[in-house]
Amino acid sequence: MDAWTGWALIVGAALVSFFSRAVFVLPGGHMRLPATAERALRYAPAAALMAIVVPDLATAHGALSISIENPRLVAGLVAFALATVTRNILATIAGGMATLLLVRALVA
Amino acid sequence: MVGIVPWGVVAGVAMVGAGLTKGQAVAMSLLVFAGSAQLAVLPLLIAKAPLWVMYATALAVNLRYVIYSAVLAPHFEHLSRPWRALLSYIMVDGVFALFVGRYRPDEARDHKHWFFLGGSLVMWTGWQLASMVGIFAGSLIPQSWSLEFAATLALIAVLVPLLHDRAIVCAALAAGGVALAASKWPLNLGLLAAIAVGVVVGLVVARTVPLKGRSG
Repeated sequence: MDAWTGWALIVGAALVSFFSRAVFVLPGGHMRLPATAERALRYAPAAALMAIVVPDLATAHGALSISIENPRLVAGLVAFALATVTRNILATIAGGMATLLLVRALVA
Repeated sequence: MVGIVPWGVVAGVAMVGAGLTKGQAVAMSLLVFAGSAQLAVLPLLIAKAPLWVMYATALAVNLRYVIYSAVLAPHFEHLSRPWRALLSYIMVDGVFALFVGRYRPDEARDHKHWFFLGGSLVMWTGWQLASMVGIFAGSLIPQSWSLEFAATLALIAVLVPLLHDRAIVCAALAAGGVALAASKWPLNLGLLAAIAVGVVVGLVVARTVPLKGRSG
């Protein structure tokens, strides 16, 4: 990656993040979000995060890998369970990493 | 608040791990200040996806802020433009939830923007310090620990609390399935297709299955 791509990403992501937050606050209180738009907007963040997470867990070396021997998949499922039960970011990350290293050690 | 420290450290490590220089990573942490959007674009940067796909992905993850912005706008309409810009920049999930639980839009309280700013500054400072630790100390951690996987785990930790009704769960599952099926598509376009399908599925499920606590 060249430096230009990195800076273009940073500046673009900064603009996108600022305008997402400012779109109604900055112009003042005159504009309202239509109810239909609000409903559609509720689904995008969860869909986007899941669309990033699932392929990362369920593929290994570029191929589909749904197996108990796939350390990332097992660790990811443990992390989902921990996040659901504890709602704690540290517990989710620590438990997921511990599972990854454990399964990797067992499979190897 | 407690969660922001591991989350910031992981983001710091992930930015450098994705190939950004330390200076770029510091700039990204300060300018973007949106952890889930930052972590979402980094795998795309590694995969050499086109810039517009990365921008679109950041936008999709950030669309929740558009809702927050609409909810907060009446609270802040009496403030000056620099104030509204500052409160926009510093807006984060946790403070939004606290603020909305505490104040009503029609309530004229002179200090409520100070409450918002104070809470946000605590989060901002914690996030920036944690990111710096990740950026500058991350390289001390051995490669064999696969710390880059912590970024995916951090995304799972923010994703799960979003899944609070059936329509959102269906939207997320559909998006995950499409993303997996389309993971070989060129330019990471499968990701954008997955998000679009997820939104449509969410809308359809919400329309056909009456949600709990809502009439009709």
